[in-house]
Amino acid sequence: MSPASWKAALCLLLLVGCRSGQETETESRGSSSVVSRPDAGKPATGDWLISHSLSDPEQLNPLTSNDASASELLQYIFQSLLTRDPRSLELKPLIAVARPAISVDRRRYTFTIRRDAHFQDGTPLSGEDVLFSIKAIKCPLVNAPFLRVYFDSVVDARLLDEFTIQFSIKEPYFLNESVLGGIDVLPRHYYDPGNLLKDVTLADLRKPADQLSAAIKKFADDFNKNFSRNPMGSGPYKFQSWKTGREIELMRDEKYWGYGKAGVDQPYLDRYKYRIINNLDAALVTLKSGGLDEMNLNPVQHKRGTGSERFKSEFQKYDYFAPNFSYIGWNNEHPIFRDKRVRKAMTYFTNRKQMVRTILFGLGEVVEGPIYFFRPEYDKSLRSYDYDPKKGLELLQQAGWSDSDGDGILDNVVDGRKVPFRFEIKVNAGNTTRKSVALVLQDELKKHGIAATVRELDWTIFLADVKVRKFDAILLGWAMSVNEPDAYQVWHSSQAANKGSNHISFKNARADRILEQYRREFDERKRIELYREFQQILSDEQPYTFLFVGKSVSAVQRRIRGVEVLPGGLRSIDWWVPPPAQKYGQRLTAN
Amino acid sequence: MASYALKRLLLMIPTFIGVTLIGFLIMRLAPGDPAELRAAGGLGGASGAGVSLEKRGAVDEAVAQWRAQYGLDRPVQVQYALWLKNLFTLNFGESFKDNQSVWNKIVERVPVTVKLNLLSLMVVYLVAIPLGMYSATHPNSLGDQVTTLAAFVLFAVPLVWAATMAIVFICGGDFYYLFPPAGLASLDYAEDWPLWRKFKDQAWHVFLPVLLMSYDGFAGLSRYMRASMLEVLSQDFVQVARAKGLEERLVIFKHVLRNSLIPQVTMLASILPGLLGGSVIIETIFSIPGLGQLGYESVLARDYPTVMALFTVSAVLTLIGILISDLLLSVVDPRIAFGRRLQ
Amino acid sequence: MSSTPLNTAQPASGNAAAVENAPPTGEGLWASVWKQFKRKPVALAGFYLVCFLAFMAVFGDFLANDKPYYLSYKGKSYFPVFRGYLVDARLAQWPAELLNVEYKKLDGATAIFPPIPYRPTNIDLFAPYETPSKDHWFGTDKLGRDIMAGMIHGARISLSIGFVAVGIAVVIGVILGAIAGYFGSWVDLVISRLFEVMLAIPTFFLLITVAAIFPPSIFLTMAIIGSTSWVGIARFTRNEFLRIRNLDYVTSAIALGVPDRTVMFKHILPNALAPVIVSVVLGIAGAILVESALSFLGIGVPAELVTWGSILHEASGATFAWWLAVFPGAAIFITVLSYYLVGEGLREVLDPRLRGLR
Repeated sequence: MSPASWKAALCLLLLVGCRSGQETETESRGSSSVVSRPDAGKPATGDWLISHSLSDPEQLNPLTSNDASASELLQYIFQSLLTRDPRSLELKPLIAVARPAISVDRRRYTFTIRRDAHFQDGTPLSGEDVLFSIKAIKCPLVNAPFLRVYFDSVVDARLLDEFTIQFSIKEPYFLNESVLGGIDVLPRHYYDPGNLLKDVTLADLRKPADQLSAAIKKFADDFNKNFSRNPMGSGPYKFQSWKTGREIELMRDEKYWGYGKAGVDQPYLDRYKYRIINNLDAALVTLKSGGLDEMNLNPVQHKRGTGSERFKSEFQKYDYFAPNFSYIGWNNEHPIFRDKRVRKAMTYFTNRKQMVRTILFGLGEVVEGPIYFFRPEYDKSLRSYDYDPKKGLELLQQAGWSDSDGDGILDNVVDGRKVPFRFEIKVNAGNTTRKSVALVLQDELKKHGIAATVRELDWTIFLADVKVRKFDAILLGWAMSVNEPDAYQVWHSSQAANKGSNHISFKNARADRILEQYRREFDERKRIELYREFQQILSDEQPYTFLFVGKSVSAVQRRIRGVEVLPGGLRSIDWWVPPPAQKYGQRLTAN
Repeated sequence: MASYALKRLLLMIPTFIGVTLIGFLIMRLAPGDPAELRAAGGLGGASGAGVSLEKRGAVDEAVAQWRAQYGLDRPVQVQYALWLKNLFTLNFGESFKDNQSVWNKIVERVPVTVKLNLLSLMVVYLVAIPLGMYSATHPNSLGDQVTTLAAFVLFAVPLVWAATMAIVFICGGDFYYLFPPAGLASLDYAEDWPLWRKFKDQAWHVFLPVLLMSYDGFAGLSRYMRASMLEVLSQDFVQVARAKGLEERLVIFKHVLRNSLIPQVTMLASILPGLLGGSVIIETIFSIPGLGQLGYESVLARDYPTVMALFTVSAVLTLIGILISDLLLSVVDPRIAFGRRLQ
Repeated sequence: MSSTPLNTAQPASGNAAAVENAPPTGEGLWASVWKQFKRKPVALAGFYLVCFLAFMAVFGDFLANDKPYYLSYKGKSYFPVFRGYLVDARLAQWPAELLNVEYKKLDGATAIFPPIPYRPTNIDLFAPYETPSKDHWFGTDKLGRDIMAGMIHGARISLSIGFVAVGIAVVIGVILGAIAGYFGSWVDLVISRLFEVMLAIPTFFLLITVAAIFPPSIFLTMAIIGSTSWVGIARFTRNEFLRIRNLDYVTSAIALGVPDRTVMFKHILPNALAPVIVSVVLGIAGAILVESALSFLGIGVPAELVTWGSILHEASGATFAWWLAVFPGAAIFITVLSYYLVGEGLREVLDPRLRGLR
């Protein structure tokens, strides 16, 4: 499993959807349009898959690229030491021979690398490449700050022999195995032809920027600049071409090392083409006229544009959950929202079920907590705060809110001063769903004497305000992955200061202790128990009003087989087309 | 004449500095930081699922590094001076969004925008001039009144409405599918198609955008032509020509037309600056990869180098346009004196 | 190629000789202008349309509101619409029984509602994308907001943007143009360079930049439209001033020692106003067009505001909801058309007056 496929699971672009090889339980909660049964019949190679991309990726450098379009592509080109079984979500070896040997103190991880893997240009893959990959990530001059932070606790990496690598970790943390297993293996001879990093150790890379050697500087410079459009890895698909604004093409590697090997995903489709159409309506027209084989539909298209008999006979729609959720974040240090009764009341005022129906066109589910609800850690017994404005008003009354001056707005005495119930909801520009939620909430609150204003801000300004806690309430979302959750970053009180991710300043001592304990817990069952208690705390405190998890809908041309809705979404690597139905034939060579 | 041209060129320099400085200041002083935007994963998080949980807190150092790399941590004047210096070598820098050379990005899209605008221009002139001529030679006739009314109506139709109605009603969707809703060519457009097929495909795609870009020109230019021709027709030399016994058609086409076309020709030069802003809406609605779309996206992405480059290009084009227009006017109509102030 | 009317409008000034015979200021000019204007049926129609739109803008709250005009409840009478105004101005309070009540759901009450019983911001999560029907004459949008209410209240927003933006443009343009035309020589040179700079700036692009980056607000929109569209007015003013400056009555006033400012604003300006008036009218139309373009692109409009352009913006994302495209666009069209007709009418009337009778 590689960070590239993590990034794919990030689903930064909801409309591009999530394609990854990670999953949770096999419980599928699709609607009637979902087909979950894999098809019978023997997969055959051949044919193309023409998918849709809303925009060009920024670039295709596996370490420095940061957008979902890029991750979507890179996951087929690069591979990592470990991967995840698509159904059970367990870690499986890929480039490594087996899962790592972990020392008793959980500080050393030793991976043995398989000897039969090679890169797309034929060069054999060895430990040197893995070592190079971690060095490239840790090099502070390489433009990969977000990736690098993941690996902060990796203090050393060394080759025990040509095919064995050992990592040393600062502190035990149960996610380390998947982090290390997720390193994309880059070919050293390609990305560092001059072998500039040969004698550099991880300790060298920790020095401040001005003390780094000239070789390191040159390597980073070349690496950042020269590899935006020419990725090369060990994966089943080779990068073929990129016509900016038009299309990107990947081709199946005929010499892929993984053919016929047990436990390795077999590729069938000859080519993956991504047509770049930045207008969704145009993309739908293209889909209907045969120019695309699959695309992600937006809710309007799903409900209105794709219901004809003709469409149904040509395409099959699949809907699946994306591991993200939206929420209303109440600034827990704000005089009005300090009281948890007020926050609870706000949740009662939010008609989440109807919002899913109207704003999301039914493509979503209400959630009551921050864990992806396909994960075992998600507590299904959490109490649901159904829309109930009467309860909300009761709670507000209990908290001391009433309209004492007859101006139509509730007020209360807070910190000795009379405070009217006025506040501002901040939303970012460019997201119609969250903006709609804010407007609906505003309208509802007005009926009960609460004056909320909605302020739409540019994304960067919005983020800047969130970082410094300059808000009363915000509408935002978190994009997660299907992997094991770790709520420390968002909910621990230490992250409330210094622009950490605990935006709303949630501070609860018991929750803190649970979060700390969880990280050091290597037994999955105990972890699940800990998180149950954690979610109950959140449910009682309502620091967020949890809104919903979104669903994506894809329409796929019916000639394509092997399409299955997995907990992580759809996985095109499994897809194939029976030879009689193949539209583009067996043209493997580029033309 | 040459000295006049030189003088005008020199005078353009302060204008040029003024324009680029304004553009520069607005981008720099505007809130919102391109470094933070990159750190947040670009614009995807805005419209998509939200902030990635995978992004940990301490990327401040990386952001600072990135800023230093692009010189964003220096004072504003220094940045401007550096940018001007690079200008002389046509080095517009690299885009913040995807590290491509800005110059290349612009050059890539210039043909598209130029093609659209030239087509639109041609269409406007081909339609408006004859219409204007007809109106002027048959003033207050039924034809004249109809064209006048039509001109007003067309002028008043907002572009955003016409374009939206087109997308809703005739570009696929619930009603009719007469024209494609996006792009300049079909997706399976291949270079090895027969010429006729290529032409048909391109024409089909380009028809609506060009029509939408031109319709207000029909109105404006034909009215202008009519007014200008009416003015010329009322002048003495036309009476003289008629008195001489010249055939009416000859009068019109040889004498009147030439004189009435003068102001239209100078208007031509003012089209150049419109190349950028004018097509933003059309390019956005129809997903056409031209300069207007590039400008819009770059603004949203805080891609300073690209925005500045587009500003500059537009400014240069406008100034050239004004210069040509003035020079043409002085060549064509020597009665107009420049540089002499009214006493 | 889109060009705002401000920059392509023809100057209305004509021969100098004819102007000398026109009265310098005064009621006489404008009264006869009105008389001539009335004789043009098309222009007059435009004028009545403008008045109608102004009426909608001013009285929007009475045409579309979720509060009734008159309410008879539990034996007492109330006038909620009017009281609402007073409460907002902090001059009155709501009686306890009317606090935040849902008027449409009061049992045992008789109420007279305005013809459109919705405000444009009333959300109805259960009625999104309704086609035009007797409940919602123009249908609803994605959040169930009534479109007709949006049309009516949108008139207020569009017209105010038009007026304020053009007001700003007039102030800047007239002052700069007057100074340039009056003083001539190097002052003119410098100010003309300024004109060139403003012309060379890609205006729409600049608008997008500013509107997209700074927090959206109606005032910002008005300000930036106004400050980028004054060049046409300035140029006309400058040309008029250049011309009138040399007329006898002005030169004699200067010779008599009348201060510059008085000469400029009391003697020259009233005569120079004709082309400016036309530009103002056309400019309002232009500003409305620009604002609709900006809100169509989704920038410059605060989240809670419903404008004609923002409804069109929704239309492009939901093409099956044709009513979202047809009505607001038609509203913009009719508004702009009526201003054009008035402007053209004025130009024709003022033109021959200045050129002498033809």
